[in-house]
Amino acid sequence: MNSFLVKRLGQTILSVWGVITVVFIILQMSGDPTLLMVPEGATQADIDSLRLQLGFDRPMIVQYGDYLWRLARLDMGVSLVQNIPVVDILAPRIFYTLYLASAALLVAFGIGLPVGIYIGIFRNNPLSRALMAVVLIGQSMPTFWSGILLIMLFAVNWAILPSSGAEGATSIILPAITLGALSMATVARITRTSIIEELGKEYIRAAKARGLSFAAVIGRHVMRNASIPLITIAALELSNLLAGAVIVETVFAWPGLGLLAVQSIEARDFPVVQVLVLLGSVVYIGLNLIADILYSVVDPRIKLDGQQG
Amino acid sequence: MLKKLLLTIYALVLALAGLGADSAMAAPDKLVVDLVNEPSTLDPHRQWNPDSYYVYRNIYDNLVTRDTAGKIVPQIATSWKLLDDTTVEFKIRTDVKFQDGSPLTAQDVVFSIKRITNPEFKSPQLGQFNSITDATATAPDTVVVKTGKPYPPLLAQLVKLSIVSKAYTEKVGDEKLNLEPMGSGPYKFVSWQKGVKVELAANENYWRGTPPFAAAEFRAVKDAATRIADLRTGKADLIVSLNSDNAAELKSASNLAVLSAPTERVAYLMMNTEYGPLTDVKVRRAVAYALDRKLIIDALLGGYSRITDELLTPAHFGYVEGVKAYPHDPVKAKALLAEAGYADGVTVELVTAPVFDQRIVQAIQQQLSKVGITVKISMGDMSTFLKRRRADPEGFGDMVFGRWSCACQDADGVLYAMFHSDSVWSKYANPELDKHLEAARSAMDPEVRLKHYRLANDIIADQVPSIPLYQAAAIYGAKKNLQWTPTANESLFLMDMSWK
Repeated sequence: MNSFLVKRLGQTILSVWGVITVVFIILQMSGDPTLLMVPEGATQADIDSLRLQLGFDRPMIVQYGDYLWRLARLDMGVSLVQNIPVVDILAPRIFYTLYLASAALLVAFGIGLPVGIYIGIFRNNPLSRALMAVVLIGQSMPTFWSGILLIMLFAVNWAILPSSGAEGATSIILPAITLGALSMATVARITRTSIIEELGKEYIRAAKARGLSFAAVIGRHVMRNASIPLITIAALELSNLLAGAVIVETVFAWPGLGLLAVQSIEARDFPVVQVLVLLGSVVYIGLNLIADILYSVVDPRIKLDGQQG
Repeated sequence: MLKKLLLTIYALVLALAGLGADSAMAAPDKLVVDLVNEPSTLDPHRQWNPDSYYVYRNIYDNLVTRDTAGKIVPQIATSWKLLDDTTVEFKIRTDVKFQDGSPLTAQDVVFSIKRITNPEFKSPQLGQFNSITDATATAPDTVVVKTGKPYPPLLAQLVKLSIVSKAYTEKVGDEKLNLEPMGSGPYKFVSWQKGVKVELAANENYWRGTPPFAAAEFRAVKDAATRIADLRTGKADLIVSLNSDNAAELKSASNLAVLSAPTERVAYLMMNTEYGPLTDVKVRRAVAYALDRKLIIDALLGGYSRITDELLTPAHFGYVEGVKAYPHDPVKAKALLAEAGYADGVTVELVTAPVFDQRIVQAIQQQLSKVGITVKISMGDMSTFLKRRRADPEGFGDMVFGRWSCACQDADGVLYAMFHSDSVWSKYANPELDKHLEAARSAMDPEVRLKHYRLANDIIADQVPSIPLYQAAAIYGAKKNLQWTPTANESLFLMDMSWK
């Protein structure tokens, strides 16, 4: 292992610890969950006894130590609301979010890439302008709104797709389009910019001068170099998709981690929220690390030791 | 500009959607209900929130229940009598079987009571049941329940006690009881797909008769617009938690119906009578006269809620007719303010939380500003709100907008908690009122209790420690061919529903 990787791994671990601590402090500051759990009109004695039972009466530092020690043993704790291990609550939800994020990524790249290439190469024809409009719409529509719009059209009005839930093969389509639209726009824009940038470079003129066909110039030369920024985008977009899933899953009643996050925050289910935020941060930090490593694979000019070759 | 355009498109889509109405469908034998969240738990002793009890109250029977008129009637208990002020004897049905075939006995009732009242069990409902000090089975069909002190709301609280099987719970443990509940109710648990839905099947041997649907499904659909889309597309037969705007939208569809029932939740404006300008009763009365509650209900709540002049509703024991009302009278309000020395106006802080309808908070702010009361709104999250709601007079703020429900339909759960000087939720101290609330809490004779609540309500109406605003309504959307009358207890008892 070289020094760059060691340094990046060190940073990664530090970031994760920072996240763990910040999450703990913020949740502690946001209020006492006992109050939300007791019925209205509960007496002070009722509240105190429940708080004692749940361990919220202990000093913060003791709770923090207990929390770190449990995480170190990969003990995710027990949900305050459902009273079952957090792992059992999370596990069935992970699949749905991964499924949704992959489908959305497919939408983003499946549409964004060809569109980006087209509008990068043919900048001024009418189709290109029309596609640019599509990209702008994808970029500017808020998902909580576009999701409901799609439900109204495809489920209520035309009755061709289910309105909510995760039953049957077709139920993924609307959430995936809704979630993927924003990333699709990003992918298309980045692709377009890179292609335009590469097209203006010397080696393209040289390739053209050598008599290579237009397709060969684009396919063999432009695409290879234009794909570098797309790798970062793919990693970052995947994290954005996981974050966007919170809204899209809520609109479509899609039983993933995003919906679980909303429900757990509302119910002040500390242990579940902690693990969710932790999971999200680890994924985000991990994806960034992977993107860094992938650079060097695609572009030998970037070396892992951080020096320009 | 863009927002306007989007809204226009949205309106067009809605109009189009209305044109393509579904063809009437044959009544299926499965009822699909869209809830907001999945149940927190299906262990009936563990959690008291609507999304949980909507489901588990169909799996279990209760010791006693309420009929559609709200009267407490037998269910597992056939009758009850007071042996003395702190002892009630229940006669238990002997013909009830759990879904696993075993008979439901007095032992199961005792076990259920002891389970929920055990502090080690950490039930959030403990406060509703901890007046019970002991329960014993004195005969195979007799259970004797003892309370530490005379406790008149006991039956109202026991409406919420589901009876679990002692043998099953001890065999499978607490965790499995939550994941695979088994009771004596009209529906058997089939599956719980986490985050998605709970499926139930009819208990063909149910002692009260054959359940109306062969199967039932409770789905978790957080977004109200999505629940409506589910109802329109036929994916759901019944949806919960709508507001008046949603209801107006559903009314245009010929195959759908809007069902609503006034609940026992009362929206109130609570005053800090122990600190700040509202310590003067004249200012509190001025606030009451300044408010136009009818306008709020008609303009913002679509007429679904009802004005109430006390903190109770007709669904509560202790509700009395004809307490002093404060009609909308801005002139009188200004005069009272001037008398109190605030002719040039006064500024007050109103504490609220996002879960409450902010349009109403703003309407209150505007109505009060017309008589010279400037309202500063302090909004925090629910925890902050609850913390301030219980704070010392100095930290409470001047007013709080909130909604109160004891889920017990008894004045004790409302008036004692909100106005007795000992309660953490009270910002009012009046020895005369305390006396009536204590007397009503310890008398077992309903007539005596009612007499004290009459006087208590009159004191509260006169001294205005809190202004009752309206009795909130629960609004549901359903297929037109679903026969069901929702009640104030906000339960979805499938046994009370059927296809027309």
